[in-house]
Amino acid sequence: MELRKENKVLKYFLITISFIFLGVFLILPLVYIVITALRDGISGYINAVSDEYAIKAALLTIQATAWAVIVNTIFGIAAAWLITKYSFKGKKLLSTFIDLPVTVSPIIAGLIYVLTFGRQSGLYPILDSYGIQIIFAVPGIVLATIFVTFPFISRELVPVLTAQGTDEEEAASLMGAGTFTIFRKVTFPHIKWALLYGVVLCTARAMGEFGAVSVLSGHLRGKTNTLPLYIELLYQGYDFTGAFAASSILVVLAVIVLILRLVIENKGNKELDLNK
Amino acid sequence: MGYVELKNINKHFKNFHASKDINISIEKGRLVALLGPSGSGKTTILRMIAGLENPDSGEILIDGKVVNNVPGSERGIGFVFQNYALFRYMNVYDNIAFGLRVKKVPEAKIKERVTELISLIDCEGLEKRYPSQLSGGQRQRVAFARALAPNPQILLLDEPFAAIDAKVRLELRTWLREMITKLGITSIFVTHDQDEAIEVADEIIVTNEGRVEQSGNPQELYKNPATPFVARFIGNSVEVKNYEKFRYFEKCSGDSTAYLRPEFVSIFKKGESVQFANSAEEAVVEDIIFRGSNLEVRVRLHGNLISSIRSINDSEIKVGETVDVFIYRLYVVAGDEVVLATNTSLQDEDIVI
Repeated sequence: MELRKENKVLKYFLITISFIFLGVFLILPLVYIVITALRDGISGYINAVSDEYAIKAALLTIQATAWAVIVNTIFGIAAAWLITKYSFKGKKLLSTFIDLPVTVSPIIAGLIYVLTFGRQSGLYPILDSYGIQIIFAVPGIVLATIFVTFPFISRELVPVLTAQGTDEEEAASLMGAGTFTIFRKVTFPHIKWALLYGVVLCTARAMGEFGAVSVLSGHLRGKTNTLPLYIELLYQGYDFTGAFAASSILVVLAVIVLILRLVIENKGNKELDLNK
Repeated sequence: MGYVELKNINKHFKNFHASKDINISIEKGRLVALLGPSGSGKTTILRMIAGLENPDSGEILIDGKVVNNVPGSERGIGFVFQNYALFRYMNVYDNIAFGLRVKKVPEAKIKERVTELISLIDCEGLEKRYPSQLSGGQRQRVAFARALAPNPQILLLDEPFAAIDAKVRLELRTWLREMITKLGITSIFVTHDQDEAIEVADEIIVTNEGRVEQSGNPQELYKNPATPFVARFIGNSVEVKNYEKFRYFEKCSGDSTAYLRPEFVSIFKKGESVQFANSAEEAVVEDIIFRGSNLEVRVRLHGNLISSIRSINDSEIKVGETVDVFIYRLYVVAGDEVVLATNTSLQDEDIVI
């Protein structure tokens, strides 16, 4: 307490810096997006937002995001469960590899898939014979999105599961509970909030993904353009109203995610207090 | 034949040999302590009986049947974990009911059993509380009730008092002993605290470095330590290398060491003792520690710091004072042998510990 009193000046200095920083780097650009989007009046904005291609792009983004969340939830829970509840050879390696997408540039992630599934790849003839197209098509976009959001959910779960230990599961299994019952009754209540938080982070990241998706998409308007790619396309075409209007959709989605995150964090913390 | 038997059990954790040729036999209805320092393999033995670990070799028998391949949940055991492992997201009622619900017992019967157990552990009114809202002692009792709910034949407890503060621990020890005696359930608990083992258990199995050193009732262990480790471990033993210098003690063999417990030593103020006036030795008091109900007096004798307990009703002794010291007996360890050496001036008298 003493320390805090003495450093009142420092406290206000830090507050000022934080707010100026946030203002310049975050609030101002967001405000600018809204202003530019509305530059041609409300009707211009509505026209831009309800543009056929804009809606298609938004739907594709939601589609890719949904896939990424579903796949990564399943994989994330499985991986976190495996890493925290079992010991096996190569465990360290596995948990390191899960983090790979965070450290690798998204462009490289995109290129990896082009090399794996593209025309020059050995897999291409097989896929082609079944009529499956991955590169420059929706599956490629989904794959890229899954790749970049890969670690988000498992990374949220691992610390929670580690802190919990395996005692409660052992106790339940000694009483004859099956794996599924143990997960549902004992493990899931622990990871519920962390899982939701991971889903939110995953969603946010998936919606905004540009780099990897850009490499794999082929930029076919109305077919393989996600919202971020569409925005870039409009921007390159000097359609500022359109670009910023589309951006505002992403911003609104981001704000919704942010609010969700706040609610989840609050609820989770309250429950944590109860169950220390 | 014992109700729970372990035959030639070996267990490795990677390169660590946690259990070395363990042979244990526990009779039905006994309350047994697995006592040993940390890392001595006592918890591993408990977890193998529970089926939480599998032995590399050897057989585990319960009620005459080999259970090596029977899952823990079908061995008829209740397990109380060291930190209780209560389900944090379930209230007391649901915690106790869990094992019964898993077994698909009708809800009415569950209610009956849980109510019965809650009154047994004296936790009426706490049914709706979550584990975080309970005191350490209450958690312990709920864990006990949860383990008992499905009517197990054997109760296993891993360091049941380790996480509780000293005062409550003493109460709980007595409580647990009474409960287990009342229920007549075969119980095995792990502890590193010899006071706890001696006070609570009918029988103690002493483990050290993955081996069973000795098993027997507390008095036996105290009186006749079978191995050097037990002689050292039980009681507050002081190591004495040159015990042959003590009056009326002779060197047993060339390379031997003696272990002396405070209760083997009496310290008298000069002229206080008539009985041992001629056989006692003089020593100087180095330290006196007040222990509340008694005093620990430490004297230097032939270079060894020796402790003895003195009643607070005895006349006061001060640091630096010269006193008479009489040693009744000590344990002499030579190689793997433990010999009880008695003061030769006492030879004809019979002293009970």
